[in-house]
Amino acid sequence: MSRVQALFSFVTENHPRSLKGLEESRAVAPELFDEVAEKFLGWAAKVHGETGYLPRCVDAFAIFSHDVLMSQARYEADGHYENDSFAKCEEAVYGRREVMDDYLWGVFLTNFMWAHHMDITRFYKDRFISKLPSAPKVVELAPGHGGWGVWMLSERPDATLHGYDVSPSSIVIASSVAEAAGVSGRVQYTRRNALDLESMPAGEADAVICSFLIEHLEEPWRLVAVISRLLKPGGRAFLTGALTAAQVDHIYEFRKESELVLLCEQHDLRVLETISVAPQRLLPKARFLPRSMGLLLQRRKSDMW
Amino acid sequence: MDTLAKLNEVFRDVFEDEDLTVGRETTAKTVAGWDSVMHITLMMSIERAFKLRFNSGEVANLKNVGALADLIDRKKA
Repeated sequence: MSRVQALFSFVTENHPRSLKGLEESRAVAPELFDEVAEKFLGWAAKVHGETGYLPRCVDAFAIFSHDVLMSQARYEADGHYENDSFAKCEEAVYGRREVMDDYLWGVFLTNFMWAHHMDITRFYKDRFISKLPSAPKVVELAPGHGGWGVWMLSERPDATLHGYDVSPSSIVIASSVAEAAGVSGRVQYTRRNALDLESMPAGEADAVICSFLIEHLEEPWRLVAVISRLLKPGGRAFLTGALTAAQVDHIYEFRKESELVLLCEQHDLRVLETISVAPQRLLPKARFLPRSMGLLLQRRKSDMW
Repeated sequence: MDTLAKLNEVFRDVFEDEDLTVGRETTAKTVAGWDSVMHITLMMSIERAFKLRFNSGEVANLKNVGALADLIDRKKA
């Protein structure tokens, strides 16, 4: 039985409410779904063992997805996100190791188990990974579970990666995923707040990956400034963010795609391409459309370039 | 009205099916349309009907309606 078949079987038996979403996700791009799922689940199996990886990851995914939908329902009722400061999120999530571990393994599967994120995943592969220069030095800001960067390394044997994350759980989990993928010799993870990189030497990275961090910040423009600073002129970044999409630790409420585009343009980043996607099924009578946005960026060489 | 009977009313309202009858062993496999999105609608309706609020993680992995009824009883105790 393939890992994809095992996943469908496990979800059918143990998480039937998640089956429809899983079917929707594979239908978006069956070949890519199978490719990514086999890869990610294979790494998870090496980390957690053949008998334990599905319960560990899929149970966490079910809890995470449920909490996201519950947050969205409360957002619909209240009209604003639940938490408005990093300190509150740290108390609820980041500072609690057991919560954070579940959270990260749950998010790990959303790259291919959320149908609308399959579009982001395809965008990342086709428009970012495939366009990286030769022997790229890549920085990942807030790698979380590590999947985005490790996937890039697995596709590009000439690439190296340095990831910075404020969470100890992230460093442990991302390192374990990298080890499982056989790329640990080309990646280094450092526990450090991405916003503290404002003082790093400028213009040394060929590329930057920053996936779903910006909406977790009180001052998202500082992150965009860091991305711009780290990139060499002409270097590219893959940035994703959430719009009117609640989660217990989402702080900054982006409402329109242009807000993210404008932030990037204000920090010397060309917006080469964007994608904005939403779930196929919404809460009844929803007034907010939860979206995930992907941006492919390039550091300007000058004001006129 | 006991918890299970009141839950049954909520289920009928949410799934818009006056003939729907749930028991302690009822699961998402046996109720048509009970997917992840409908589950949230159900939980929000239950919160309103029973005047309680579920915490993160409490209701994500409930195995059946009996486990849900037991959780409600514990929270109302």
